[in-house]
Amino acid sequence: MPSLRLDGRRVEIHDGDTVAAAAFRAGVRTFTRSLKAHRRRGLYCGTGDCANCLVTVDGLPGERACVTPARDGMRVERETGWPSAERDALAINDRLHRFMPVGFYYKVFARPRWLWPVAERVIRRATGTGTLPPDAPTRRTPTRFVRVRTLVIGGGVAGLAAAATAAGEGSVVLADEAAPGARATDPAARDAIARLTAEARAAGAEILEQHAAIGIYEGPAAALLGPDELVEVEAEHVIVATGALEAHGVFPGNDLPGVWLGRGAARMTAIHGVTIGERVVVVANTEEGAHLSEALRATGATVTLVTGRVLEARGTRQVSSVTVLTPEGRRAFACDALVLSLGWAPRDTLLRMTAEPEVVGAGDVVRPGSTLAEAEASGRAAARGQADQPTEATSWPIAEHDGYVCVCEDVSMHDLERAWDEGWTSSEILKRYTTATMGPCQGALCSRHLAEHARAKGAAPAARGRTTARPPVRAPRLGDLIGGVHEQVERRTALHDRHVAAGARMDHSGVWLRPGTYGDVGEEIRVVRERVSVMDVSTLGKFLVAGVDARTLLDQVFPLDVGAIAPGRARYLLALDEAGYVMDDGLLAALGDGSYFLTSTSGGADRMEAWLRNWIDRLDLHVHLVNQTAQLGAINVAGPNARDLLATLTDDDLSRAAIPYPGHADIVVAGVPCRAIAVGFVGELSYELHHPRGRSEGLWDALLAAGEPWDIRPHGLDALDVLRLEKGHVYLAQDTMPDDHPAKLGLRWAVASQKETFVGKRALERMDALPLERRLVGLRFDGAPQRGHPLAVDGAIVGRITSCAVSEAAGGPVGLGWVRAVDGAFPDQLTAGAVTATVSPTPFYDPEGMRLRA
Amino acid sequence: MSVLVTCPTCGRRPFTEFSFGGELRDIASPDTASDFERVYLHDNAAGPQRERWFHLLGCRRWVTLTRDTGTNRVEA
Amino acid sequence: MPEVHDRPLGVIVCAADPAALDRLVPPGHGARVLRVAPDEVLAVVAPDFADDVRRELADRVAALDHDALVLDVSDGWAAIALVGDDAERALSYLSALEAPAADGFAQGDVARVAAKILREPDGLVLLVPAYWRDHVRTRAIEDAGAVEARA
Repeated sequence: MPSLRLDGRRVEIHDGDTVAAAAFRAGVRTFTRSLKAHRRRGLYCGTGDCANCLVTVDGLPGERACVTPARDGMRVERETGWPSAERDALAINDRLHRFMPVGFYYKVFARPRWLWPVAERVIRRATGTGTLPPDAPTRRTPTRFVRVRTLVIGGGVAGLAAAATAAGEGSVVLADEAAPGARATDPAARDAIARLTAEARAAGAEILEQHAAIGIYEGPAAALLGPDELVEVEAEHVIVATGALEAHGVFPGNDLPGVWLGRGAARMTAIHGVTIGERVVVVANTEEGAHLSEALRATGATVTLVTGRVLEARGTRQVSSVTVLTPEGRRAFACDALVLSLGWAPRDTLLRMTAEPEVVGAGDVVRPGSTLAEAEASGRAAARGQADQPTEATSWPIAEHDGYVCVCEDVSMHDLERAWDEGWTSSEILKRYTTATMGPCQGALCSRHLAEHARAKGAAPAARGRTTARPPVRAPRLGDLIGGVHEQVERRTALHDRHVAAGARMDHSGVWLRPGTYGDVGEEIRVVRERVSVMDVSTLGKFLVAGVDARTLLDQVFPLDVGAIAPGRARYLLALDEAGYVMDDGLLAALGDGSYFLTSTSGGADRMEAWLRNWIDRLDLHVHLVNQTAQLGAINVAGPNARDLLATLTDDDLSRAAIPYPGHADIVVAGVPCRAIAVGFVGELSYELHHPRGRSEGLWDALLAAGEPWDIRPHGLDALDVLRLEKGHVYLAQDTMPDDHPAKLGLRWAVASQKETFVGKRALERMDALPLERRLVGLRFDGAPQRGHPLAVDGAIVGRITSCAVSEAAGGPVGLGWVRAVDGAFPDQLTAGAVTATVSPTPFYDPEGMRLRA
Repeated sequence: MSVLVTCPTCGRRPFTEFSFGGELRDIASPDTASDFERVYLHDNAAGPQRERWFHLLGCRRWVTLTRDTGTNRVEA
Repeated sequence: MPEVHDRPLGVIVCAADPAALDRLVPPGHGARVLRVAPDEVLAVVAPDFADDVRRELADRVAALDHDALVLDVSDGWAAIALVGDDAERALSYLSALEAPAADGFAQGDVARVAAKILREPDGLVLLVPAYWRDHVRTRAIEDAGAVEARA
């Protein structure tokens, strides 16, 4: 006989059992201990709606025993109560409950101040449900995308009928949360479901079993969580047919084990063949509840059926008696099971998440207490665009003066009354103060009670609504939610394998994977300053700007004088936004046939393309823009011996006459056609060779081979950071902030203010008239500085170090940083902790720029 | 999950394929004072709003459309 | 499970007036013409014919728009083929886009990057900027269950 282990004890499994059914049959009555008061909790809803039966299954906590199919060999543990659910040392909390009204911990442990962290640790250990296993296998659930005309959520009679009818109009997916065979509690329902399932399948509907909808989003779209996948569905129509459960009864003793909601009792009896008690009292104000008593009698129990209001239930470990106010008056009954069918609570959380008209309901969720025929008709009508509108219960079971409203969080009617008296007088605020509806069931039982309480207290309409419904409906695992999301999207240059083979530490620089260093940053810096080096700069944004209006576009958008760039020349380019702030920088080269080549920072390529295309559109210009970022590789050959090295690989003229600074020429290097651009970022003689991406490896290998006489080695981002800092060059987003106009960065020279128009011109005019309140400056330190460290004058913080390094070439520690004006003047001596910083002009190295103009 | 944006070339697509370009506004102002308003002071309407969107993951072109900021519905 | 292959392709861009592109007669050599934007067309063809297609396109479009730009941009693109009957199911793990009809194409978010999807007789081809090649291959294998093609 198949079996599972419950807290180590062997429990037999019958065919079709859930974990709860097997456990209950074996005599288990206490499944959990409540959050605060540690009261015994047993099976209540039996349909997966409440949190009374959460257990740990095979190491994973938070599984609902009543809907989890039992499997041979399963390991089940009750996860609340210490040392066990049966003998819980903290059950004492229940007796002390009147000293622990809702919110007491905020008041009692607030002072002295040191007490709260201690109290919090203790409280945390005493509450909560389940422990995450530290060695659980990490799970990344695959995500699948589906587009469909109609999504039906719920595999009962209404949902299946909707799917069968909608399949005639287009594609249909039906998501059914339940395990197969877990629904029908009577033969008529079983037949209807079998018939409708066959009809839906024959019509072409796709049925996803054991897929629960955890949220509905704009679109409409829905997320379905299955056993092994997350499905993101985009649908034109969504039909929610999630049914209803009985209204939660609130009266003293309502949370005792042995108190059941009707449909849960029906499942246990009809599907699992479990006897829930020998003397059963059924309090039914619904037709369905009345029928239920017949099914219970068939198990051999003595069943008493009454209607009315439950006043009180009593018992110690489980219910032993109940008092009901019937039409004939107060009646008390001895019982070992109490079944409630007091009214209906539609499972409308998903419906309440959206106001989109394409999302409608069908069946019990909009017409609770429907017959099978009514549910089927409702499903078909919804599929035809004539969905029933939700009806709210005309009468809601009145809650007694006491009893647990929010069972998950141990919030009683008494707590709600007290909180209201303290001034928390709206349903939303009451929720937040008492934590009612914030437990694992997310208000499935009690959200209506909370709203009803506010209404009964006379709250205004805005203050007595049901609290907002948000995804997820129920707690999914993080591994399920991150399916399809990855840490990085990664761009790689064509030289990636070369860098890895050379032992580079590859860093994520934005979306690019780039070499940080090949092992010795100091040596990499030296080889650039003293000999010759190469760097992979293929990540740069690169654009061909052509067409009759190419020059017009560039002139209108950028603040530089495009017309002054003669063919073969290049200029440093600032990109300003309409507020005059620096968005990006790069180089603009005139190609001589009226077209231009533009480079941007590696991280700014997409933004630059969007920016240019925006202006092409708004200015209605004839421009052909080709984003060549992927198409071209780029290798920077830098160092005093750069020209000598290249001369061994090309017959083309490399002199300043042929390639001016700043400028460019087309040359062939090691047989590879290149656009060689003379650049100055690192402050040495440099040739940035732009070439077809497919030729990168060959070019790189040829350069390294030809460079051996100079002991060439490549340099990475770490070295680049220091090299450019020595020249005082700004790193966007490291040294700059989003609201920097050129003057703040000392880049006013890059703006041709005399131009009649360019994007941001008016903004610059306006800001030029204002005093500069902040500046980026060069700094020299008398000790080792720290990036990000504040800069102070007389103890008051006036700035921050944005970049710094100990530099051989600059003769000591240097950096860049922000400084604010103090009393209208910029200080020139500051402190960064124990280090003194002196404002210095930049570049720190080769201020005349002789090296790069060689 | 999906505010759906209609791209004339590519069809109705989730907004995650796009870059948002903000309210549609004039591309220039006659003087410095009105430029401040143009750049900084937006209508920020509650209701239909003319907007610019860039189809970054698709055709990489701009589209001007109307979106209702209350319902997130984009006019087809 | 579909196989994932690198499929070298020639790609030529033609940027011109929308009216000119509307009237452009497609080039030969089995080239597929993708109208990726009103003012831009990508012609995709076997690499051996890239040069021929470039010349054909340049000649044809010059007559319709003398300012048009035609450029071989093959280096800028990587084509990853998902080969097999279940290529479409594999795609559903990478993208919410539907696979296009036989002679059409789709463009949008595939594995979170900008991609064009083409249908081939043996499966689907994902055309992405070359720097995304490794990313898309990895996602196809890890998320969509594709397998590396045997040598």
